[in-house]
Amino acid sequence: MAVLVLVRSPLPRLRAVFQRCWGRLERGLWPGVFGGQSPPWGPALAVQGAALVPGGINDASESSAEALSLLGSVMWMAAPKHRRTIEVNRCRRRHPSKLIEIKRNIDVCPECGNLKQKHVLCGYCYAKVKEETRLIRMEIYKKEGRPFNSPTVETVVLYEGEKPTEADEGKRIIERARKRPSWFVQN
Amino acid sequence: MRLSVAAAISHGRVYRRLGLSPRSRLDLLRNLVTALVRYERIETPWARADEMRGYAERLIDYAKRGDRDERAMRMADFWLTEKDLIHKLFKVLAPRFQTHPGSYTRLLQIPNRDGLDRAKMAVIELKGNPLPPLVRPRRDSDKTLLNQLLKGYRQDARPRGTPV
Repeated sequence: MAVLVLVRSPLPRLRAVFQRCWGRLERGLWPGVFGGQSPPWGPALAVQGAALVPGGINDASESSAEALSLLGSVMWMAAPKHRRTIEVNRCRRRHPSKLIEIKRNIDVCPECGNLKQKHVLCGYCYAKVKEETRLIRMEIYKKEGRPFNSPTVETVVLYEGEKPTEADEGKRIIERARKRPSWFVQN
Repeated sequence: MRLSVAAAISHGRVYRRLGLSPRSRLDLLRNLVTALVRYERIETPWARADEMRGYAERLIDYAKRGDRDERAMRMADFWLTEKDLIHKLFKVLAPRFQTHPGSYTRLLQIPNRDGLDRAKMAVIELKGNPLPPLVRPRRDSDKTLLNQLLKGYRQDARPRGTPV
């Protein structure tokens, strides 16, 4: 069963904090930052009122803020300093933990000779049984006629030329029109 | 102070999480139990078969009480969605397993599914079903080395007949 664990990266938080600090600097809410002088990138003359091109000033401050915050966020990212040599790369790529494990639980099926895993059924033998089961189920469906008509007695499957024994008294008989296969032993 | 268990720990949890919700998981397992009682051998992902096995065996235990039992009939009514199988359960499967003390099903793994997901599949069947057997019981052949050595040892250990 899989459980999703949400991991939030710290970068958006840092970015939000940075932007808030920047906003405060711009609005002059942090007077002590530059030791009494005005910020070096701000306008030299304080203009009275919002008369002269208020949109232009806002755009300039926003674009400079964006550019500088982008540079700020780039500055905080990790990046490789040196090229990893092919020797180091080979050591990492060919470490035994990264290679595919070899399976030692493969055997030969004693019935058909195909390969099989020790704890798994042989694929060929299972396909054989599955096909025969499908044909038997088709016969059952033909006998039952309509769906949801399962009987209240046991079922027995008989092949060509077989008679029901006394153990098969009272059971529903399903006939299969072929010789009994060697791997289906009659009980 | 941590008041809740961390999301990724599931120590001691026995029920797998299948389907979309707990109700959906029960519906899924109910469909599988119905199919097992109808067809007596089904092929499904291994996790679902393993989960369903316990429910199927408990249902048969309930059925062994007989159809006069109120609880048994209510269980059968909930777990079998096709109602003609209730008759089959009480009249065919309960007598078949009356002498068995437990473990009425057999769960075997088959090669992974052919589709894109390569899921681990299993076939679960009721014992004593009329279908062809999945696994033939193998008897040790007499021709193996160990058996030949044991046969030779037995012959040597037997007292020899009186010499002429």
